[in-house]
Amino acid sequence: MEILSIKDLTFSYPNKENFALQNVNLSINSGDFVVVCGQSGSGKTTLLRMLKKEIAPHGEKQGAVFYKGEDVEKLDDKISAQKIGFVFQKPDQQIVTDKVWHELAFGLESLGYDSDYIRLRVGEMANYFGITSLFRKKTTELSGGQKQLMNLASVMAMSPDVIILDEPTSQLDPITANDFITTLKKINDELGLTVIIIEHRLQEVFPIADKVAVMEDGKVICYDTPRNVCEKLSNHPMSQGFPSAVRIWQKSGGKGECPLTVKEGRNFINLNFSERKLPLRNTIPNTEDIITLKDVFFRYEKGGNDILSGTNLSIKKGEHFCILGGNGSGKTTTLKILAGLLKPYRGKVIIDNNKMTKKTTADFNRLGVAMLPQNPESVFLKSRVIDDYTELCKIKGIEKSAYEEKINSVAEKLGIKDLLENHPYDLSGGEIQKCALGKVLISEPKILLLDEPTKGVDAYSKLSLSKILQEIRSDGVTIITVTHDVEFASIVADRCGLFFDGEVLSSLVPQEFFSKNNFYTTASSRISRDKFANAVTVDDVVSLIKEEQNG
Amino acid sequence: MLVVILWRKTMESNKLKSFATIHPAVLMVYFLSEIVISMFSTNPIILGVGLVGGLLFFLMIQDIKVFLKDLTFYIPMFLLITIINPLFSHNGVTPLFFMNGNPVTMEAIIYGMDIALMLMAVIYWCKCYSLIMTTDKFLYLFGKAIPKLSLVLSMALRFIPLFKEKLHEIRNVQSSIGLYDRKGFVNKITSELKVFSALITWSLENSVETASSMKARGYGLKGRTHFSMYKFRSRDLMYLLAIVIFFGIVIVGMAMGVTDFSFYPEISNFNFGISQIIVYISFALLSFIPFVSEVWEVIVWKYSVSKI
Amino acid sequence: MAKKIIKLSFLIILVPLAVILGVVVFKDRSYAWVSLCVALFSLVPLFLTFERKDTNTTKLVILAVMIALSVAGRFLFSFIPHFKPVTAMVVITGIYMGYEYGFICGAFTALISNFIFGQGPWTPFQMFAWGLIGLLAGLLAKILQKNIIILLIFGALAGVLFSFLMDVWTTFWYDGTLNFSRFIANIVTAIPVTITYAVSNVVFLFVLIKPIGKKLERIKIKYGL
Ligand SMILES: Nc1ncnc2c1ncn2[C@@H]1O[C@H](COP(=O)(O)OP(=O)(O)OP(=O)(O)O)[C@@H](O)[C@H]1O
Ligand SMILES: Nc1ncnc2c1ncn2[C@@H]1O[C@H](COP(=O)(O)OP(=O)(O)OP(=O)(O)O)[C@@H](O)[C@H]1O
Ligand SMILES: [Mg+2]
Ligand SMILES: [Mg+2]
Repeated sequence: MEILSIKDLTFSYPNKENFALQNVNLSINSGDFVVVCGQSGSGKTTLLRMLKKEIAPHGEKQGAVFYKGEDVEKLDDKISAQKIGFVFQKPDQQIVTDKVWHELAFGLESLGYDSDYIRLRVGEMANYFGITSLFRKKTTELSGGQKQLMNLASVMAMSPDVIILDEPTSQLDPITANDFITTLKKINDELGLTVIIIEHRLQEVFPIADKVAVMEDGKVICYDTPRNVCEKLSNHPMSQGFPSAVRIWQKSGGKGECPLTVKEGRNFINLNFSERKLPLRNTIPNTEDIITLKDVFFRYEKGGNDILSGTNLSIKKGEHFCILGGNGSGKTTTLKILAGLLKPYRGKVIIDNNKMTKKTTADFNRLGVAMLPQNPESVFLKSRVIDDYTELCKIKGIEKSAYEEKINSVAEKLGIKDLLENHPYDLSGGEIQKCALGKVLISEPKILLLDEPTKGVDAYSKLSLSKILQEIRSDGVTIITVTHDVEFASIVADRCGLFFDGEVLSSLVPQEFFSKNNFYTTASSRISRDKFANAVTVDDVVSLIKEEQNG
Repeated sequence: MLVVILWRKTMESNKLKSFATIHPAVLMVYFLSEIVISMFSTNPIILGVGLVGGLLFFLMIQDIKVFLKDLTFYIPMFLLITIINPLFSHNGVTPLFFMNGNPVTMEAIIYGMDIALMLMAVIYWCKCYSLIMTTDKFLYLFGKAIPKLSLVLSMALRFIPLFKEKLHEIRNVQSSIGLYDRKGFVNKITSELKVFSALITWSLENSVETASSMKARGYGLKGRTHFSMYKFRSRDLMYLLAIVIFFGIVIVGMAMGVTDFSFYPEISNFNFGISQIIVYISFALLSFIPFVSEVWEVIVWKYSVSKI
Repeated sequence: MAKKIIKLSFLIILVPLAVILGVVVFKDRSYAWVSLCVALFSLVPLFLTFERKDTNTTKLVILAVMIALSVAGRFLFSFIPHFKPVTAMVVITGIYMGYEYGFICGAFTALISNFIFGQGPWTPFQMFAWGLIGLLAGLLAKILQKNIIILLIFGALAGVLFSFLMDVWTTFWYDGTLNFSRFIANIVTAIPVTITYAVSNVVFLFVLIKPIGKKLERIKIKYGL
């Protein structure tokens, strides 16, 4: 049965010439699990917000959206609030109150339920989502993943028919993200809820989706079952984001039924190919160490736990090192120590043969250290991107006549020339990430620290980002990236380390690193490990397949 | 049944001191009556009893270290207020000596002590209030009368730690790309201003999203209810009755002039008639309620443990 | 309607009753009692009218943001005592959002500050004083917006007013009456603080008024408020 239908929807934002949505038609059945994907700025968020009148963006609109046959704009206020649930892109923005229990009860209060009923619902939700221990905590004390679960629970407490989620896993580590998606699937299966989710990481959601909608330039270019979408768009830039099994199958000219899950991919490899081994690719430059951490200990509060406990790390000049690890394990903390923002209470920090233990952030910066933070908005102070760029040029002592050239060359590299005049807060998630990187690059760092640079970035832009990073690296810049994105790390890194229990474990080349791990590893490695040794990226696997096919 | 089980399970995580678990409305009445009497009485016995009660309560809910450290600040303050008063007040009939041609009287010094006693009593009760009446209790009390404003308060309370963190982050990020080494006073102020301005942008832009999130969950619909975690139990009623009775006796006594005490021109004598004794004892009982309840709880607990 | 009448009569009867009763009970210290009652009860009608008005949800959130900003600003400039953007933020809220919002922003900033730094009998008085400044800024918004000089003078005066009100209250609290020599002494000892208040108000108003106006304007356009 059809629960939501979008008819000829066209929309544009005020003061913008181009349409954010153009002639969108979509029909969603009750109980479906629908994935919406597409490049940054293609209108995904805009489209899904139109499904709920309370949060529909402000602008010029034609066409209509129907919920159970009724125009959502004319829908009863109460039904609209209750039956269509929305989980926002940034967990902090959704949270209204200061206590977890109040946050869970917030929607039910609006609907006018009495205390006993609210008590039952809230208690049930806290149990179902396993957050009972957080119940009386302050909302600011939760970790990113906990916030996201709480937000989902607070929407679910209202017993909606449809639940819409905007990139809910973008800040979660791979294991937590998987748990989150599994929870969604459970809700979908057990309660028959219709789930609509925007995602860039399609690996986990494609296999469980009933339908996938692909957006491009404000249009839905494809709306079908995941398998059909993969077939129809095999040559489209979007295909970069398809699950690894699909991409391996497509790139190796596969025939028959396209594999979708890791399991199907593994069967495909196991049935068709014999054992092979890829020689280890060692791209670590043969230079001296530029960064060394020796037995570093750090904690935030005097009586608190050690976040870093005896961390050792040495990074070669010109290398790209990726740090992976769970939420809250201390990756950002490590980067901040490397940027001089936090001081260890024991141990040594050495950069470029200078002992940095007692130095200020400015001293670190003078040695060429620069950091792209986890939240790119904090990079901007002005109301236009370009103003921020010029201010930095000024402070860096670049001559006035050279400003423009400098800014242009960076903007060109990142492909953000059209965005320079914009207000930073008008940019979409992926766009602001690139502009923030631009500002960091203007300071011409020698050591670049990146915290989650691929968050909210679509697969295609991610590919171009990885190219940019490779280019910067080949200019001799040392890069340290903290990321949850194993696929990205497997492509760009010279070495990878896993952060666990206050230490960086096993600094290895990606092929070795991902081959050894069972969970913290790429889908390609999981698919191919029975037959192919050391193949961790899609390209690795494909190259071995090609080798076999060619003789 | 299900409600009860789920609820219990959810609540297990937190254990508080027995007095703090009383219904917020009763707590509010208690603190107000204690503070009002201490604040507007001049009778040294009343003030002394109030101060001792406040100190005891504070000691029960605070570390002894904090308590002692606090005293090292308040004892000098006590002395200071005492000796300063004669400078402003030359009333009284017993001059001790003359300063700049003005008499420094014994009455003025004693009155200074009385003021200091009052200040300390009120301050300690307010300290206990701040520790016990946490923001969620406060919000609960006013949530029904002023729902919109209490929501504003609740949001602001959530935003403050968030903003503090964000301020720190913005400052960090800017210095890690090479802006603002913040040397020199003026430089520091201007760079902090820029950080503040960036915070303002961030928070205003985000506030619209928060508002969307509220609307998305039905805020603004008619007939919003107010959920809270507190229930009024029979125990609370008992406390309330006790508080109201003791408070009533003291107030009536004060109105009838039973506890009147003056310092100028001459210090009055203490009377210990039957009515005075009733008022003093009532106030002592009122002031020691938290202490008694805590001790009682301990005894009951020990007793029930020993039976097991 | 009946409810409204009951509420009103509640106010009309109860407030004077509380004051009279207080005066009877706390003879010597009745000044302190009356001043506290005046501060507390002046908050009530403004709070209630705010409650009753149909307010836009976004405006409500922005109000919470302004309150939180002014409290957070205290921490940012903690390296200079008394040099804080609080009053400036309250005035700006009053000017751009209206006198009711200005009043609430001032009153709640005081309340929350005291949640953090400790509640005391001074809380209602501070709420009243800061609320009053926000309210005045809102009522004079037209004039203040037109001329920056007047605005800055208003800021300086607001600092003095705040200091003055708190001195009155302190004197009442100590002596129960307006002991003139103590009052003068309070004012004199507070002069450095008063000056810092005034200067910080002027500085922060000068720096913040335009940018915040622009930012609010931007949001208005972007989200069609
Ligand atoms: N409030 C706004 N005002 C003006 N333009 C906007 C606004 N929000 C989004 N846009 C523009 O509309 C287009 C679609 O934005 P939208 O946020 O829907 O993209 P998206 O597909 O969700 O992207 P992402 O994956 O990066 O989140 C983009 O070009 C964006 O710049
Ligand atoms: N300012 C702070 N004060 C106190 N504790 C903090 C602070 N910042 C982080 N922590 C704690 O330190 C631990 C490590 O935090 P960190 O931000 O380094 O994690 P992370 O590995 O970057 O996680 P994520 O992947 O979620 O970004 C967490 O448990 C966190 O709660
Ligand atoms: Mg989006
Ligand atoms: Mg992090």
